[in-house]
Amino acid sequence: MDSIFDKFAEAQLNRNGYRLAKTLSPDLPNEELYSIWNSCNAHDVRAILKRSIQNTATGMDKLPHQEVAGWVEVYYTYWKAVGELLAVQGPSVAYGKQFQPSSWTKVFAAWTDLLSALIRGYLSQGFEAWTIPCLYVAGKHLRVFAIKADDERNKNSSLDITAGGNFQDDFNPEAEQHAKLEDCARQLQKIFNLCLNDRAPLEESRKWGIYYVTNLQFKTYFKFNSAALSKNVLKAISAGRGDMPPLTAFPKSQQVTFKYYEGILCFLEENYVEAENHLTEAWNLCHKDATRNKELILTYLIPCHLLTTHTLPSQKLLEPYPRLQKLFSELARCIKKGELHAFDLALQEGEDEFVRRRIYLTLERGRDIALRNLLRKVFLAGGFEESKEEGGSPVRRTRVPIAEFAAGISLGSQETLDDDEVECLIANMIYKASKLYTARSRAPGSVYAQLVIALQTNGIQESSFQSCLASSILASLWRWRCLGLQGSTWTTRPLGLMKGYIARERGIVVLSKSGAFPGTGI
Amino acid sequence: MASASSSSKNEAKPAEAKQPEQAPVTEQKTAAALEEDDEFEDFPVDDWPAEETEAANGSEGTQHLWEESWDDDDTSDDFSAQLKEELKKVEASKKR
Repeated sequence: MDSIFDKFAEAQLNRNGYRLAKTLSPDLPNEELYSIWNSCNAHDVRAILKRSIQNTATGMDKLPHQEVAGWVEVYYTYWKAVGELLAVQGPSVAYGKQFQPSSWTKVFAAWTDLLSALIRGYLSQGFEAWTIPCLYVAGKHLRVFAIKADDERNKNSSLDITAGGNFQDDFNPEAEQHAKLEDCARQLQKIFNLCLNDRAPLEESRKWGIYYVTNLQFKTYFKFNSAALSKNVLKAISAGRGDMPPLTAFPKSQQVTFKYYEGILCFLEENYVEAENHLTEAWNLCHKDATRNKELILTYLIPCHLLTTHTLPSQKLLEPYPRLQKLFSELARCIKKGELHAFDLALQEGEDEFVRRRIYLTLERGRDIALRNLLRKVFLAGGFEESKEEGGSPVRRTRVPIAEFAAGISLGSQETLDDDEVECLIANMIYKASKLYTARSRAPGSVYAQLVIALQTNGIQESSFQSCLASSILASLWRWRCLGLQGSTWTTRPLGLMKGYIARERGIVVLSKSGAFPGTGI
Repeated sequence: MASASSSSKNEAKPAEAKQPEQAPVTEQKTAAALEEDDEFEDFPVDDWPAEETEAANGSEGTQHLWEESWDDDDTSDDFSAQLKEELKKVEASKKR
């Protein structure tokens, strides 16, 4: 205990919050934990703590009485938590006899007491803002203990052997699974409010703790799959942003973590442009040696890039990350080569992994680009025909029979599509917006008529359109068109993946002479 | 040491490897590790200078890390021949 208070005194003297927080770390070798635990007993611990803390010099003055009382509570709860921790993890041979059998649930409860003591210290006992790293340590480990407590309980209840099993609530195992972690989330929310609602001037404000605790909340909410709760935190931050230091004034570890989660949240809402911005910021600021974190950023940044700029990761980018190679190499190859069927197989093959990482739906949209490349290959295979002008250089054949595209598609899959289906695929290509619209589609019924007119001007008959409407192929086209109608931009057609129109009665696609496949050099 | 430090999985794993008698615990940890896969790791340091960021290293000109999604240097003659074959097949099947 003495060594703790030497450090406590030194940290108080220098007003060094991180040093101070180290005195509350549970992340110590068992021997050290044991020597802390063993230096007091339940009868004298408070008295010992009070004496040590009272005698702490903080520059000119001693600590105010109230604050002393606050820190005594903090270290008393710490001491008790150390006891529980040793009971759970201490080598039983050496210390076992002194401890009652414990559990991670008890450690979690003891650590919650520590956090509560700290929060009381800030609210009513005059703890200063420079000490907030203590909250970081308390919050960080509370989460670790909550996860262990949940694991422990889930394991026991699944084995259903312990006597404790009788107390398990078997009726709602889903909610029970993360019971302690949800409890932890509520505690973290208290820290968040404690930081956000501090009215003190910025230089001595607990607002400097906001991003650390927010990041902890993100990690916690993601663990029980509640992106919605993360959004609430984001909203609270952006509402209070005016009185807050800018994110760039915070340590880079906090900036990068925050940007990573902010990026994923946009990503999950299919707001890929913003997601890309946040993730790119995270990538740029990330420490160059933090390989695992860089890998995580890329896991989401790569699908973003695919959709926003139609670019693929190079071999050089993937080289240091075998896991990313496994995830993306084959898909990227199929897209590039326009091997549509192989793309479908690769997507299927990795489905579980993609779904688990929440990138399946995004990658699925890469199919359009694979298809574009396949159609492009068919177009290139069509070769050149003589220029109509005398002596002009030969031009690419821009009237391509639908049958050729159909053959191109069935070449990989060995399944023949109906001409109607092929037409739909092509129509989709022609309309497909290269810019991504993220607003939700709200289509009034009257839109249909306008849609039909728009389609007809592009060579699709209503009957054919109707037959396709049910198919999911046109769903995204429908969605996009509805979005287009919301603004006044009905007439301005965005750059598609393919330029041209379908001359249905002749069974050909007439492609644009200038840039049939925009952005790909032909 | 497979103690409270298990917040960083990397440290915890080798320690467990030395204790094969704790096999069930290890199994459980691996499952948890898989689940946790996309949790951002704590950085070993709190802050770092601009020179140590990814932007200052490696990605000088991020451009070459990304490439076009299409590719022209394949053997389009091959493809063209295959396509003709396929086209014949498809047409033949339609005539039936």
